[in-house]
Amino acid sequence: MDGDEQRGRFLSLLQPIERDLENYSRRMVFNQRDFEDALQNAVLRAFRAFDRYHDDASFRAWMFRILTNEIFAINRKRGRLAQFEIAIEPEEMEEFASVAFATEAPTSWETLADALDEELVAALQKLNDAERAVLLMRGIGDLRYREISECLGIPLGSVMGNLSRARQKMRDAILRSRRRSAL
Amino acid sequence: MKCAEVRKFVRLYLDSELDAKHSFEVEQHLESCAECAGLFEAEKKFDQRLGRFLRRDTATRPLWKKIEALIAPSRSRGIKALWPVALATSLILFVGGAMFFKSRTLDLANAVEECHSAYAHQITTPEFSGAVPEKIAQQFGGRLDSEAFAYRPSQPAFTSSGARLCHVEGVPVALILGHCAETPVSMIVFKKSELDNFPQTKRKLESGDPIACSRAGRFQFAARVVDDHVVCVIGDEPRPALEDLLKTVRRADG
Repeated sequence: MDGDEQRGRFLSLLQPIERDLENYSRRMVFNQRDFEDALQNAVLRAFRAFDRYHDDASFRAWMFRILTNEIFAINRKRGRLAQFEIAIEPEEMEEFASVAFATEAPTSWETLADALDEELVAALQKLNDAERAVLLMRGIGDLRYREISECLGIPLGSVMGNLSRARQKMRDAILRSRRRSAL
Repeated sequence: MKCAEVRKFVRLYLDSELDAKHSFEVEQHLESCAECAGLFEAEKKFDQRLGRFLRRDTATRPLWKKIEALIAPSRSRGIKALWPVALATSLILFVGGAMFFKSRTLDLANAVEECHSAYAHQITTPEFSGAVPEKIAQQFGGRLDSEAFAYRPSQPAFTSSGARLCHVEGVPVALILGHCAETPVSMIVFKKSELDNFPQTKRKLESGDPIACSRAGRFQFAARVVDDHVVCVIGDEPRPALEDLLKTVRRADG
């Protein structure tokens, strides 16, 4: 495969996921000014390593992995360390499902407006790096648990635990906003 | 399935992580239980609302045009016309350069360069930290031992982020990934008996040099024998700094 052909193939895989990568980068970087650098560095890195990418792997998961590493490196420079050493025991995985479940069922999410988005932005910023990465990889990247686990190099149980906690915090934010708007 | 059991699976079901058998059972239950169906629906709406929030921004076209252009700048016709000359010049330079560097690069340094390069480009990440997991130890095939993963420099400048099993020229090695300040540095440890696979390095280490140094691509490389293992360090650090780091490497339990 010559250079142009390789570039064409790389772009054909990249373009359908550009929006997701950008949304992910915007929400993952500690400092908003860094999101473009993170994207640019990640894409260049991926292209340089493209000859090592295999068709049987998910390009989406591969790109998210490279972008995540780039963002962590940038965030680290900004003084915010990624903390992934959160051990989840098997019995906690069992507990995960029940914790994740909404006991209070909101009836009309659609009626909530911009105030809710503000609440969600604040809640997202308060998540720790592991919770936010896992939530965004699932919510924006649409990655499988196994792919997230491989991207972040953390056990499957940690993925589920972090996702559960992150969703619970976002759910709380929605409920808070709903209660406030009901006052 | 009973309600309590079905509700435990709500997230796995909505995330399509549930196996076919359990998915079918959940669906059957939801068809006959309005209360559970309502709760699942509420959780689905939560997903939709959160998804809309997370994906609300559209891609910034000018940014992506700029990034795509950086991937491979288009070549001008003038440059294209000169390609045979450029190719011939490159070949001469490449062959000459390769012969020059080959004579100065140790076989072991060449072999581990790819491992470290993958780590430096964030393609390789640690598989574990702490004790070697049983499923990884089973892959040693008698040619590596868990002790290889216990070596660390005592210099506080080196911070390890974990380790993984790797193969270099077919030799199983412990790859310990870390940083010196912000610079990625890899440590590779394998049994001394495997040194026969790297004759140049073996000769150098047996000639009386306690440390064998070499370039490895754009990195610096240094190796020495510690106990019954060969320990190498490689990274984009000055050679003396790597040698100093290597001198402090000890087995953590010894």
